Amino acid sequence: MIEVKELSKRYGGTSAVDGLSFSVGPGRVTGFLGPNGAGKTTTMRVLLGLDAPTSGEALVDGLRYARIRRPMLRVGALLDAGALHGGRSAFDHLLCLARTNGIGARRVAEVLEQVGLAGVARKRAGGFSLGMKQRLGIAAALLGDPGVLLFDEPVNGLDPDGVRWIRELMRSLAAEGRTVLLSSHLMSEMELTADRLVVIGRGRLICDTTVRDLAARFDRGVLVRSPRAAELAEVLTGAGAAVAPDPSGGLAVTGVDVSVIGDLAARHALPIHEATPRSASLEEAYMELTAGSVEHRAHGSAR
Amino acid sequence: MTSVGGVSEGARTVTGVLGAEWVKVRSVRSFSYVLAGAAMSALLMAALAWYSASLYDGLPDGQRAGLSVTSLVSVIGLPLQICFGVFGVLVVTSEYATGTIRSSLVAVPRRWPVLAAKAAVVAAVSLAAGLAAATATFFSTRAIAGERPMGFNEVPLSEGVPELFAAAAAVAAVALAGAGLGAVSRSTAGSVIGVVVLVYVLPIVALNLPEPWSERVSAVLLPGLVGQVSGVLSGTLSHALLSPPQALAVLALYAAVPLGAAALALRCRDA
Ligand SMILES: Nc1ncnc2c1ncn2[C@@H]1O[C@H](COP(=O)(O)OP(=O)(O)OP(=O)(O)O)[C@@H](O)[C@H]1O
Ligand SMILES: [Mg+2]
Repeated sequence: MIEVKELSKRYGGTSAVDGLSFSVGPGRVTGFLGPNGAGKTTTMRVLLGLDAPTSGEALVDGLRYARIRRPMLRVGALLDAGALHGGRSAFDHLLCLARTNGIGARRVAEVLEQVGLAGVARKRAGGFSLGMKQRLGIAAALLGDPGVLLFDEPVNGLDPDGVRWIRELMRSLAAEGRTVLLSSHLMSEMELTADRLVVIGRGRLICDTTVRDLAARFDRGVLVRSPRAAELAEVLTGAGAAVAPDPSGGLAVTGVDVSVIGDLAARHALPIHEATPRSASLEEAYMELTAGSVEHRAHGSAR
Repeated sequence: MTSVGGVSEGARTVTGVLGAEWVKVRSVRSFSYVLAGAAMSALLMAALAWYSASLYDGLPDGQRAGLSVTSLVSVIGLPLQICFGVFGVLVVTSEYATGTIRSSLVAVPRRWPVLAAKAAVVAAVSLAAGLAAATATFFSTRAIAGERPMGFNEVPLSEGVPELFAAAAAVAAVALAGAGLGAVSRSTAGSVIGVVVLVYVLPIVALNLPEPWSERVSAVLLPGLVGQVSGVLSGTLSHALLSPPQALAVLALYAAVPLGAAALALRCRDA
């Protein structure tokens, strides 16, 4: 369980996070989205006790991170997979971390096995590819078998296989009842991985929703073409739909599902030449949301 | 969760963090380079003793009495202090340069145990290696000098042994100062410059001050302190201004002040 309450963080003059509140529950993957500089990394750094908040607080399982003893048993984090001493072996890199929390060498070998690095455990990490470094970073997060996991852009720079591996890992970790917070700028990736979405822009919350609700919110209705458009429009309006002529020539129908439209047309023996559900892609939805945040800010209101 | 099997959680953390810092030190190449540097310094001292001996042998009988070579244990102090000062710096700044400091502090969010463990490992390694190199120098240079009376090998063992410990203590103090400077500045270059200033530049500057300031300042700088701790003065001081315990206390400040500043910086600053 992660709770961010009225969190603000300023670096000198720049406000990185500004009155941000949200919470992340167990058992599902929560995507943490926002454009560059939105404050995702900053929020995670405050959650992990690396940066002190200017005001507000960020709690893990109801505790301030710095108060947790042997925190790796409770929280695992991947912030920057490149943060390695290039001369140290993968095994030693993990062993350094494990020792501090009383985790044994056997567990180090286990997580290396789990992320597929057992074969290169004794190799210098400096020679690792980007994907191998990401895997090593994930291994470090998993060391203490924690119930809460934070990953900052784990798929950055990975090939499709690596992306799929991470996606499946995240989902399985959440399915085991863990709290998983995953940051990204890519809605297309989150769409496949996350159940919930926390979207921020310029340090403020834009929306906290489920992937399904967001898709519904950006539903643009169904484009319907029929040679007997006027009769069809009458039938659909009678069934409670809103019908408008579409600039492309057909009817833009909202308020009823495409299956309902098909059934109604069949019942009234009206031919249909096209029926295309048009939801904005989540990527478009996201662009619209984050662009909106800038506008709202200009008018001086959050959300 | 205050005690596990009779061992307090705090003690477990301390031993765990110490173990982790030791793994960090021994698992990188720079550690071997530093140890090699110490070994080379000891070899260099043996070479100097050999050179002095051949010089002595080449002199006519009448001039031999005039050849007095300064204690090579005090000479090796300079390269050892630089070697282990840089070692102390790297133990801290390499974590900032690579970014691993973040995972270290995420693993130990109280932070001070990380600094304390680093200091303990740096102190233990530099004390042991400093003592080993100084002892090797002491015995090898005496063996090489043999029966030739050349000053440094005429000191009785009872005076030589405190000098070894004083030399090792100074090496450890500089190493800890390096670690402290590293944590405050987070910069390798800056901290190494700091170490060189402390070890090398300040003593030279002090020598050029007008009396009585030259003596007074030299007494609290590293070469003077080593001599006053052991009671075997060489080079910069003609007589001791501090008793051995006083000198040892000032030497301890060389480690304590930067480490104290480091603890404060680590506690208050964002990582
Ligand atoms: N240590 C720092 N000092 C000064 N400014 C900072 C610092 N860290 C972050 N910032 C600023 O705070 C803002 C938020 O940065 P943050 O890294 O949290 O964004 P982000 O959402 O992670 O972006 P990205 O997607 O690019 O990683 C940015 O404007 C950044 O310039
Ligand atoms: Mg970021």
